[in-house]
Amino acid sequence: MDAPDTTEAPTQKSRLPRLRMSGRGMWITFLLVPPLAVMALFVIYPIVSALAYAFYDWQGLRRGEFVGFANFSKVLFDEPFATTTWNAFKNNVFVFFALMIIQNGLGFILAYALWRDLPGARFHRIAVFLPVVLSTVIIGYVWKLFFHPIFGAVNQLLRSVGLDVFAGPWLGDPDTALNALIFVNAWAWVGFPTLVFLAGLQRIPSEILDAARMETDSELLLIRKIIWPLIAPSATVCFILLFIGSFNWFELPYIMVGLDGSPFGTTDVLGLYFYRTAFGNQSAGIQDFGMGSALAVLMFLFIAVVATVWTIYLRRREIEV
Amino acid sequence: MAQLSLRGVRKNFKNVEVLQGIDLDIRDRELIVFVGPSGCGKSTLLRLIAGLDPMTAGEFVLNGKSMQGVAPSKRDIAMVFQSYALYPHMNVYDNMAFGARLMGLSKAEVQARIDEAAGMLQLEPLLDRKPRELSGGQRQRVAIGRALARKPSVFLLDEPLSNLDAALRSDVRLEIAKLHRKIGATMIYVTHDQVEAMTLADRIVVMRGGLIEQVGTPRELYETPANAFVGTFIGSPRMSLLETTRDGPHFGIEGSGSIALPGAPETGQKVTLGLRPDAMHLGLADAPDGFDAEFEYAEYLGNEAYLYARLGDGTRVSLKGDTASCAHQPGDTVRICPDPAQLHYFDTETGRSFRSA
Ligand SMILES: Nc1ncnc2c1ncn2[C@@H]1O[C@H](COP(=O)(O)OP(=O)(O)OP(=O)(O)O)[C@@H](O)[C@H]1O
Ligand SMILES: [Mg+2]
Repeated sequence: MDAPDTTEAPTQKSRLPRLRMSGRGMWITFLLVPPLAVMALFVIYPIVSALAYAFYDWQGLRRGEFVGFANFSKVLFDEPFATTTWNAFKNNVFVFFALMIIQNGLGFILAYALWRDLPGARFHRIAVFLPVVLSTVIIGYVWKLFFHPIFGAVNQLLRSVGLDVFAGPWLGDPDTALNALIFVNAWAWVGFPTLVFLAGLQRIPSEILDAARMETDSELLLIRKIIWPLIAPSATVCFILLFIGSFNWFELPYIMVGLDGSPFGTTDVLGLYFYRTAFGNQSAGIQDFGMGSALAVLMFLFIAVVATVWTIYLRRREIEV
Repeated sequence: MAQLSLRGVRKNFKNVEVLQGIDLDIRDRELIVFVGPSGCGKSTLLRLIAGLDPMTAGEFVLNGKSMQGVAPSKRDIAMVFQSYALYPHMNVYDNMAFGARLMGLSKAEVQARIDEAAGMLQLEPLLDRKPRELSGGQRQRVAIGRALARKPSVFLLDEPLSNLDAALRSDVRLEIAKLHRKIGATMIYVTHDQVEAMTLADRIVVMRGGLIEQVGTPRELYETPANAFVGTFIGSPRMSLLETTRDGPHFGIEGSGSIALPGAPETGQKVTLGLRPDAMHLGLADAPDGFDAEFEYAEYLGNEAYLYARLGDGTRVSLKGDTASCAHQPGDTVRICPDPAQLHYFDTETGRSFRSA
């Protein structure tokens, strides 16, 4: 572009054929358009319309007048909705931190044990991942039976070893219900972080580990200073997906404790509350699309913003091995 | 101070015996080179010395202390890996400082050591870079620097130059030789490049199939190879091996006649003659004491030439000649005339040298 006068003509000429589509370009377009259309119809359109719904007053399924941010302010600040919202949010936060520790933490420990080829590694590699492929419906149902106060396997086991004191109505006791749900979720999903961490560990070149072993004999130091930084990409995946999953948590509590987050809202989470509000249920009696949409929009914004910021932060500490 | 002593060292992987009994003493400040064909167990032996893998049997004593059960990091040994194995998430400075810090040195001492190592290897401008921002040669120098910063009494280097191009390789080779003289540590250097071995080593250990074939200075190995394998492994172009049948002073090759070698040592009937390219010359068709051979081709190198010819029994020999010899045509009959003073006599069955027997 040093001599614009002389280069202008050829540049334009050479640009022209690019407008006409090559065979390859046709293929790419052909393959991209249908999925994009489906995505627009079933993902983008609902999101945009949910956003729009949130700004209207609703009587049942009939849309009323435009009310601005009234729905948002209702779910966030007006009683009795605000208490429910913040209680559900608080539970989501608790679920997230608890799962971060037990699901991802245990996942890393399991992956490390499998990677070090501790005895029985091959069996456990499959055993750990098996629940992940089971349907959440089945897992929820089975564990609901296990937790049954009288006939459940959990209490029967406790009684059979003389720990009757601990046998209790796991899902009916406000002190244990949420923890029981968290436990089941971790049991079902621990295979996922295990697999992701294991893949990360197996990617570490063995000579780097040998080099580190020449310099330290402390396994903890090795994990902290060498292994953990090298599997940062795996950690990013596990952390972000768990974050999204924790704040979208719905199926498992829905199946095991019902829409109300019983007992007394101790297992209530935003997903359940949104569903109750938008689609109604017998106990709540109300159905308000506007407030439900407002909740959905708030959840989406919260998850999207935090996940994005956190991903950027996590990606920054990743390095190419 | 570092004296290493290996006694009856064996290593099995499952059922495969990779090292079949290694006995070796390495002196203080020595630069010893392990050479041998691929898969002969050089890296395995180095890893046993480092403590990265356990021995199946045998003993390794460093400065009078058995290293049985001593962790790699507690052996006062540093290793430079073939793939460099730098920590990708640390910059050059931290790569070098990691081990030094773990030794419990003060901050100032760590700094001093890295300054010294970086100075020796010209790494000062690179200290802030990550390994992925370095060239192969620079990474190699960092890997050496990382070992240097720990000031170990033994350095292990496993094919440290094999990922470098030819020009860089000879540069870094020179650096390593200089470094060894300067720091005076014991170094064990693995390579399968015999030029590297010859130029660097105080002593060379030639290995084959999990066993040591011979240990000696480069000169000893070149001049008095213990067997035909060492003879052919050391020296380039390779030593030619001529299988002969002895009858008194006469050594005959089927289809090539026989020659008289009066000074020959006591041998059996089947003798393999080892001839380096400059231990024979091309004579005229009627020259005395030569083997008949068919000329194959010549490599013209300017000041000299390498000539290739085939003996009556099909053995190819390579020899050095003057450029005039290039005039021979393929298929010409020539005479290969060995220089009796530079001959090696090997037992055809065992490969053992008759001189050293
Ligand atoms: N972890 C292992 N498990 C099984 N066999 C192994 C293992 N490591 C090495 N071996 C075998 O041991 C033999 C010696 O290997 P080693 O790496 O020591 O060879 P080397 O002399 O260093 O060869 P190269 O010059 O190619 O590096 C080889 O036959 C190899 O297949
Ligand atoms: Mg090797």
